[in-house]
Amino acid sequence: MNGASGWLCAVLLLGMVALCLLLPATTRRRRWAGALLGLLSLLLMLVEVLLPLVSWTAQAVFWVLAAVTIGAAVAAISMTKPVYTAVWFGLSLLGTASLLLFDGAQFLSIATVAVYAGAILVTFLFVIMLAQPEGRAVYDRITWRWYSKAAAALVAAILMGILTLALDRFARTEVPWAPALEQLDVLHPAHMARFGGELFSKHLLSIEVAGALLLVALVGAISIMIQSGRSPGAPPERMEP
Amino acid sequence: MNQAIVLEALIKTVIVIGGLATGAAYLVLLERKMAAWVQDRIGPNRAGIPLTDIRLGGLGQPLADGLKVLFKEDFTPAHVDRWLFTLAPVLILVAAFAAFAVIPFGSVLPVRSAATGTGAPVSLVIAPGVNVAVLYVFAVSSIAVYGVILGGWASNNKYSLLGGLRSSAQLIAYELPMGLGLLGIVVAAGSLNLEEIIVRQAAGGWYVLLQPLGFIVFVVAAFAEAARLPFDLPECEQELVGGYHTEYSGMRLLLFLLTEFLHMITAAALIVILFLGGWHLPGGLTGSTDEVGWFGALARVVVLVGKVFLVIVVFMLVRWSWPRFRYDQLMSLAWKVMLPLGMVNFLTVAVLEQVRWAWRLEGPYWTALLAAAAWGVCAIAVVLLAVAAPGVADNRGCRFTESEEQTG
Amino acid sequence: MKADDPRVKWLDVPPMGLAEKLYLPLVTHGLTTTLRHLAAALAGKTVTVSYPEEEPQIDNPLIYRGVHRLNRDAEGRVKCVACFLCATACPAHCIDIVAAESPWPDREKYPASFVVDELRCIYCGMCEQACPVDAIELTSLYNLTGCSREEMVYDKEKLLSVYDATIDREPMRSADAGETA
Repeated sequence: MNGASGWLCAVLLLGMVALCLLLPATTRRRRWAGALLGLLSLLLMLVEVLLPLVSWTAQAVFWVLAAVTIGAAVAAISMTKPVYTAVWFGLSLLGTASLLLFDGAQFLSIATVAVYAGAILVTFLFVIMLAQPEGRAVYDRITWRWYSKAAAALVAAILMGILTLALDRFARTEVPWAPALEQLDVLHPAHMARFGGELFSKHLLSIEVAGALLLVALVGAISIMIQSGRSPGAPPERMEP
Repeated sequence: MNQAIVLEALIKTVIVIGGLATGAAYLVLLERKMAAWVQDRIGPNRAGIPLTDIRLGGLGQPLADGLKVLFKEDFTPAHVDRWLFTLAPVLILVAAFAAFAVIPFGSVLPVRSAATGTGAPVSLVIAPGVNVAVLYVFAVSSIAVYGVILGGWASNNKYSLLGGLRSSAQLIAYELPMGLGLLGIVVAAGSLNLEEIIVRQAAGGWYVLLQPLGFIVFVVAAFAEAARLPFDLPECEQELVGGYHTEYSGMRLLLFLLTEFLHMITAAALIVILFLGGWHLPGGLTGSTDEVGWFGALARVVVLVGKVFLVIVVFMLVRWSWPRFRYDQLMSLAWKVMLPLGMVNFLTVAVLEQVRWAWRLEGPYWTALLAAAAWGVCAIAVVLLAVAAPGVADNRGCRFTESEEQTG
Repeated sequence: MKADDPRVKWLDVPPMGLAEKLYLPLVTHGLTTTLRHLAAALAGKTVTVSYPEEEPQIDNPLIYRGVHRLNRDAEGRVKCVACFLCATACPAHCIDIVAAESPWPDREKYPASFVVDELRCIYCGMCEQACPVDAIELTSLYNLTGCSREEMVYDKEKLLSVYDATIDREPMRSADAGETA
């Protein structure tokens, strides 16, 4: 284990504690402490581990977007009101989409917004608003004390550590796939067409299987709806005058 | 070179946002004037140049309206969720403006762009050459749903919540037929880029002639997405006071109202660009290639903006012509009528394009023939749907008939 | 009345024809109506007018219900006989009459004071109908303004002056009704 790895471990530990403090059902003071610790750990991470990897000035936009994304993600899991969680999660998705756009992956970026933020999260929001205005639900009151939080934070820290180490290795060694990436040329005007071509030639089977799966789900949803319509508790079909 | 890109984008952004804000303000006046004319009234004609007696037929009205709203109290009720209450109008406005990043407001200028470095002419769109422009507009318009939903929920008022729910359900429902109406265009043009789509229409005929069914589906969906009558259920006054912005006042209400007009401009611009040929005008005034002089470039801007204006006038005429749909009618129109029509359109276009491509059927004669085939399919599909009448034709409440009275 | 009452006659909604199901004829019908009104308005045929510069045309001033007036008889005396029928009929209770012994031999009473509160009045015209001698009438003066509430309370002199101002344009409904009272 070299110096950078040791530093990484320390930073991750710090971040873990911060995350523990930030997770819901804590006091306001603990939350502030968590936020500060989290910021500190992020900064330390930047300074020691990530700074050598990139040139700061060229990628200022990237760093801002990344900070927004991570900050929004942490905020999403530390909110007590479900609606706020959804909104922060939406911001995190927008940050992710912006990062993808920044790297030239136009389609992925737009698809992220359209599918996740535009369709899935809106449905969530819909349900949350109708179901529970604020506070904790009944099933939230069964508490596992601090174990669950600690476990979550630990998993997050391990995941982040592994990802960082992997990234670190890629950056230090000559990356073998860099030329291949250039050949792909994501900024080429025909990028979308090429994407479609790849999708419908190399991955045709997966696409068809996914399509069939979605169709089955759709038919299933409709059949459930029809059955529930016939149940005795359902409202009568004819309207009275 | 980098600075040139930023500068060019900034100049275009300022032009577009300034134009849109002014345009929206004057559209409010136009809406009021149209409403007055259709109802045999005169309409606002007092406000002119401030501090003088010059009236200009009411052209100063937007300024007066803006000042009035600015000086009104921006009231936050005690029972609302403050953060989301403030966030909602900002979010919806940002989303509405963001859509115009890829919507062209002209063709190209006969000036070599310093930004691209390749010597390509300056194109009149903030972000030129976006591969996924059509998808981008969709994604951004789906972000606008958040503004409505959050505004309705944060107001903590049943009418607002109902308005927000109605609106989000409506927007999500009509995004599907809109997408289907648009898929035909993408197949025919072979591109998701709006500028490219206009160029293709200039060369090979407007898509309103080639894909009539797609046009019908898209226009209906665009009306619903813009929440204009006959689909203005999110804020129908008779049922919901003001819908999702009932609790808003002052500047924040202005943001919501401005957004409504921006949505209308977006919808009109999309209709024009996708189906009505964009800046192209038959007769050679605007040409059909990338090579234009200053006159041609300006003519294209004028033609495009003029077309958008005309479509907006149609939007406003429709508002005073047809009654509002009931909510279940709205939904069955989306799912039982527009969705099948959109699928038929997509299949038709795909088959016709494949036929055209396989047998190399180029030239005006074959184009006319294929268009005629598309029109035939359109007529048949519409008549068949009308005969089948899946829930639209007569879903007025059933009454007890005689036989039922006996049994029940 | 309940929905299942036998006296309720239910009419079936007429079934839709193909034209109605197609939407198209009705859609064009609606649009043409709108366009017709739009064209008429643009040609200048509007119902409203630019008010202060342009006076609205009142079709028949004799049946318009604007400011009240107290009519005079042929000798210039107030026609009213202070019978209180108008004050009784008034749903807004805006007429206040003080009766006094008539100085003239042809009638017993006359109004010493006759006050109409124009702000309380709802301009229903019932006083006009109740009056047996056609003494109180509503004129076609519609632009009634004032700077204070007191100013809007019209006394006998003011009401008679309204008569003087409007009699040329709006003749009395029955010039000789007062003589027979």
